[in-house]
Amino acid sequence: MTEIDKQIQDLKERLQYIQDIFGNRENANVSLLGSKLNDFVQALPSLGPSQIKRQLGSLSDLFTFLENKLEKELTPMDRVRIVRHPQRICLKDILENVYDNYTEIGGQGEYSIDPSMIIARAYITRNVGKKIYKQPVMVIGQEKGHGQEFRNGGSVKPWGNAKALEYMKVAVTENIPIHTYIFTPGSYPVEDYPGAAQQIARNIYAMAGINVPVVAVISEGGSGGAEAIGLADTRIMLSHGYYSVISPEGAAAIEGRAKSGGRISPELVESCARQLRITAQDNLKMGYIDRILQEPALGARPEHFDFFKKLRQEVILATDEIILSVRGIKLFRAIALRKLNNPNIYVRWGLSQKSGERLLWRRYQKYRSLSQWAYRDSTPAWQKYKRAVSETSWSVYSFLRYEFFGRHQRAITHLAEDVQGEVHALFGRAMHKASRLLRKLPGVKNEKEEVCQLTTLSTWEEGMSWDEHCRYISPQANQDRTLPCPNTVKFNCLDLWAPDLFGDFAGVCSHCGHHFPMEYEWYLFNVFDPRSISEFSPRLESLNPLDFEGLEHKLDQAKKQTGHKSGCMTFEADIKGIRVVVAMLLARFRGGSVGAAEGEKFSRAVEQARRKHMPFLAYVHGTAGIRIQEGTNGLIQMPRCTLSVRRYLEAGGLYLVLYDTNSYAGPVASFLGCSPYQFAIRSANIGFAGPGVIRETTGLDIPPDYHNAFMALSRGHIQGIWDRREIRNNLHHALRTMGGEFLYYR
Amino acid sequence: MKKHKILIANRGEIAIRILNACRKLGHEFVCVYTKEDAQSEHCTEALKQGGPNTLYRISSYQDPNEIFAVADDSEATAIHPGYGFFAEDFRFARRVVQRTRKLKFIGPSWKIIQDLGDKINTKRVARRLNVPTIPGSDRPIVDDLEAEELARSLFNFQNEQGVEQPVILVKASAGGGGMGIEEVHDLDRFRTVLRGIKNYARRQFRDEGVLIEQRIFDFNHLEVQILADSHGKVVHFGTRNCTVQSIGRQKRIEVAPGFYPQSISYAFDADKVLNDIIDYSLRMAREVGYNSIGTWEWIVSPMGNPFLMEVNTRIQVENGVSAIISRIGGQEVDLIQEQIRLGLDERMHFEQKDIRFEGLGIEYRILAEDPENAFTPWVGRIENFSWPDFPWLRMHTHIPRERAYDIPTEFDPNLALGIVWGQDLEQARDRGIRFLNQLVLEGRNYMGEPLKSNIQFLKENTRKLLVF
Amino acid sequence: MIDIMALLNEIKKAPYREITVSAPHTGRIEFAVKDTGIKVDGATGTWSERPGTLLARLIREGNAKPLHAPEKGEVVHFFDIEDGQFVQAGTPLLNIRHFLTKQEVIDIILKKALHLFKAPEKGRYYFVSEIDIKIKSQGLRSVNIRDGDEALILSRMKRETIIHYEGPDGIIYTTYFNSNESVEMGGPLFGVCPEDQVNNIKTVIDKIQSGWEEQE
Repeated sequence: MTEIDKQIQDLKERLQYIQDIFGNRENANVSLLGSKLNDFVQALPSLGPSQIKRQLGSLSDLFTFLENKLEKELTPMDRVRIVRHPQRICLKDILENVYDNYTEIGGQGEYSIDPSMIIARAYITRNVGKKIYKQPVMVIGQEKGHGQEFRNGGSVKPWGNAKALEYMKVAVTENIPIHTYIFTPGSYPVEDYPGAAQQIARNIYAMAGINVPVVAVISEGGSGGAEAIGLADTRIMLSHGYYSVISPEGAAAIEGRAKSGGRISPELVESCARQLRITAQDNLKMGYIDRILQEPALGARPEHFDFFKKLRQEVILATDEIILSVRGIKLFRAIALRKLNNPNIYVRWGLSQKSGERLLWRRYQKYRSLSQWAYRDSTPAWQKYKRAVSETSWSVYSFLRYEFFGRHQRAITHLAEDVQGEVHALFGRAMHKASRLLRKLPGVKNEKEEVCQLTTLSTWEEGMSWDEHCRYISPQANQDRTLPCPNTVKFNCLDLWAPDLFGDFAGVCSHCGHHFPMEYEWYLFNVFDPRSISEFSPRLESLNPLDFEGLEHKLDQAKKQTGHKSGCMTFEADIKGIRVVVAMLLARFRGGSVGAAEGEKFSRAVEQARRKHMPFLAYVHGTAGIRIQEGTNGLIQMPRCTLSVRRYLEAGGLYLVLYDTNSYAGPVASFLGCSPYQFAIRSANIGFAGPGVIRETTGLDIPPDYHNAFMALSRGHIQGIWDRREIRNNLHHALRTMGGEFLYYR
Repeated sequence: MKKHKILIANRGEIAIRILNACRKLGHEFVCVYTKEDAQSEHCTEALKQGGPNTLYRISSYQDPNEIFAVADDSEATAIHPGYGFFAEDFRFARRVVQRTRKLKFIGPSWKIIQDLGDKINTKRVARRLNVPTIPGSDRPIVDDLEAEELARSLFNFQNEQGVEQPVILVKASAGGGGMGIEEVHDLDRFRTVLRGIKNYARRQFRDEGVLIEQRIFDFNHLEVQILADSHGKVVHFGTRNCTVQSIGRQKRIEVAPGFYPQSISYAFDADKVLNDIIDYSLRMAREVGYNSIGTWEWIVSPMGNPFLMEVNTRIQVENGVSAIISRIGGQEVDLIQEQIRLGLDERMHFEQKDIRFEGLGIEYRILAEDPENAFTPWVGRIENFSWPDFPWLRMHTHIPRERAYDIPTEFDPNLALGIVWGQDLEQARDRGIRFLNQLVLEGRNYMGEPLKSNIQFLKENTRKLLVF
Repeated sequence: MIDIMALLNEIKKAPYREITVSAPHTGRIEFAVKDTGIKVDGATGTWSERPGTLLARLIREGNAKPLHAPEKGEVVHFFDIEDGQFVQAGTPLLNIRHFLTKQEVIDIILKKALHLFKAPEKGRYYFVSEIDIKIKSQGLRSVNIRDGDEALILSRMKRETIIHYEGPDGIIYTTYFNSNESVEMGGPLFGVCPEDQVNNIKTVIDKIQSGWEEQE
């Protein structure tokens, strides 16, 4: 091929790229480029070499000029097309061009446990003065491989995420920073062990405690898949990337389903892409990324070598910054940070134990402070003040009670127990004999009474029997109709009369044990001690932070319907005398979806449990996932709440999760799924994505019972299945057995 | 009197008896049947006496929804549950009166069914009223130490009573029907048994409470027939003895009255025992506000100590044997008619003193079964079934006489009830034997083998009736 | 051996089966399919998770139970029942003409070719655990059975009796009972193929596989 052919080919590819990016849209500039190129190619045989050269030159200039012009016209959806384009830079390009050398770990092309996830040990060399330093990094990220089929578009399978986690832990051992590169439309939603949701949860939980610097670079940040490696100290976003709670098509499918029964128009997809605020600018404004790295017009492609250089500087700077901000003395840190712009400063990338702890605290605070503007707390000022005071006094109390006295008391108790044990062993036999002797003495004899008890009425304080306690009557019980049990075919269950089913049977088929959905109020009355529930932060309110079309109205409806201001109710209550903090996701409030308000309430509840040294129960009456209409404001709750949970667990808390009905997606893949004790009520469905989404994204046919609790248990996703009628007893039992002597605190 | 339409939610002979009672009282009725039961005489009778609209085919006798759907379509105003099926299902009774289109339930009010259906509650009510119950616990025991203490004193108690080989029973308090019961013969084994039962109960009933009771041997099984209206009047129709049973504790012969001291001598004062259990039963019925027909079941130990076992809040199979010896104004009583009257809120129009007892009744339950082979049910076709007509014989059956009949395998295997009356025990026994001798019950199964029945068993036991 | 081709030709003359759809219980019937000639589908999906065409709803005690077409076919006859009428349990509602699938033809022919072990009595049947385990782990056609072997448990009137197999030795080729449902006396329980005939049977099946065209 001649040089000219090559240049023409090049221009043709540029045109094709532009056409791909702009999709089906009519655009004068694009057609202009097309016709110009076409004219030139038509005229080619009649042109002399110099003419060709000149015209090619001006054509190339025209391309550059118009590309810059088109850049300004990019819509959010165009950006989605950019990052998904096969010509988009991919992680392999970055490894080649940003790092000085690397070894890929556990992958050679398609030979890998999951070719869509790449791990590499890489290093960056820095010349400072005469010295050359090699700085090692763990690079982790999704690989789209310019459209290679086996890369699965960067959609990582659960075991791919598990591999990522494994090497994050290696990085901790080696005390080297982690650079993650996010190139994923979302995780591959299969439930096979370790399970899409549960593995992401494990990753996020682990990242919440990784005490080495983590820098994340986001190109395509698709929901849970992005969060699986995205909990970073610094998040850099490429200017043409997107970071979103759901793909615009997915959002459109959900919105479209509600609206017009299935047909999804490209306009709706465009509108969703716009409304979800998925661009780098939007996310920077909202605070979910730290900075933007500008790409060449219409997005970075492998030939943009300058861009890689910029990226290299950016990740080095980010890493230095993190290290310096937590290292050593405050004053020194400030000075060092100010000097950062000088590339000649060399910063060693290892962290001491203390600095590592500071890093984690900083990371926790960073995420804790996010999305604060995306909900409303209409609690009156004096109540807020009261809360602050009470929180402080609780902290002080807990410190004194558990840290100060607790420690000594424990030592004393242990000693006392040991002594008691000895005494008991010594005297046990003697005492036993003595008591027998005693009973034989005439005065002490109490057998008379016992005989009476055999034939006459004994006293029986029934305590709180089921019937006495069950004062809540489900509105479902107030209708004269029957309901069919879905297992009729299998077990010949009879239709159940609603008053029997919901009044007497707790919504459980008396024949086969199938659980019908039960409203959350039932649990409030039947799980917790009567009159022991005290709600907190009830006035924390869900908003429509993105002004997403229609959400306002839907929220108002939900608020009116449920009497709650958000989909999460937080309260303290007793279970047979054991006080617990509970966060309850209400299925009836927008499907139990989690947005900024819900996340904030959840975090506060976890903090309250930590402060008061109480066990924490997440009761998931149902959750459809993250509230998509809140965009990344919702998505960020995944790492946010998980950080709170981790802090609580590390302080010694006991965190139980109980799933009812349907629990899917984001929450399961983060702050719920990270609990070591997750239980499900029979007939619950638990998973990452619903059957419809799985079918669409993977083309797999999903059996009807794919997500049911028993399958989840067999796959190791949950730790047990409970009957609804036994929840109270089981919870109490769990609290007793897992809590141990000091109940919830180590 | 308001005319009612009564849906008979049952099958077989009881359905026939109820429909006859309805006719005699001037009420309409509706019958139901399932496809297995199409050949039953209760269907034929329904069509004969009520016409084509009085018979509905349903998918199952056990499905309340079928009953209510038929009740609404046929515009029934009351439901008679018979025995078995819904007779003691308080939820069914509750639904009858709480559904949008309300009906009358011919039986006690649902709350009473619920309370007396709970054996622990019944036992506690009895003890509160100083009615003797089986020695042992009257509430679920959860605590192991308490259970052991109770077991120990129960053994001591029996020793004091002179029981030679005391045995106690450990039962899951939530169980029933023979599930989760074990015997303990000596205290050392108690712990192991208790653990086993508790584990079983926790798995099976999600409730690990146990009951601990004395096991009584060689007892007689007696019953007191009670009738009460919803206006506070309670009367009794004497006692029955139902001691002749199959090995599966299924009654085979019932005799009224319960003992016969006129010609049989007992180790205790039989009249006093009978009077005592009648008094106790009436006392309890008044206490709980009983308002229908019902049976108080007793076991009487060889020493003549009665213990209340349970209360059956329904009409029983053997009601006829009490009826045949009862007279009001010289007339034989029909307890089913009385039950229906009271169930439709009528007042009882007689007093205890109006009820007179005459002679002795024996009820035989005739089944195709092999008493020599563990009472195994015999399945096949009945080809010949007949009996002589006697003025002292009442025969209740759903087996057709004019055509062959395949015994359905889905239901209770009772074929017929023969109730014989006699002036005294002697005469009743003779008549019983005479009846059984003349009764013809023949058939063949698919292999050509002849029908096996319990007639011989009934005959053999007739001689020993009421001897304790 | 029977004459398979003759039998096949016989079936070809009327290559369908009429299925009567009846009311499973009492209730008021509302037809969703109202005309003859309408094509209906049976349950579909890998796990038959999508129900067949809705034929009618049976409304009882406030619950509308959908009645779906059990098989693919065409509605050919309605019984004399008015829309909205109260029907008793088992009332025939309509007939569907269902064209035989290859598998069904194979089943018909197998029933003629195999030795059928029939129910000695009416009742529910289960395989004895030894056979049951084998079938569950290795599938049908893995079980050899001999005259006099313990084969089934008959359950009726709450009692269980062991049933011994009578007939030629061979392998259990197909089963015809479902342990949830009662089998009428004389109903086929399973089909046994003598081992030396297994190949013959295979040939028959191959012939049907190639020689039968399914009709819509």
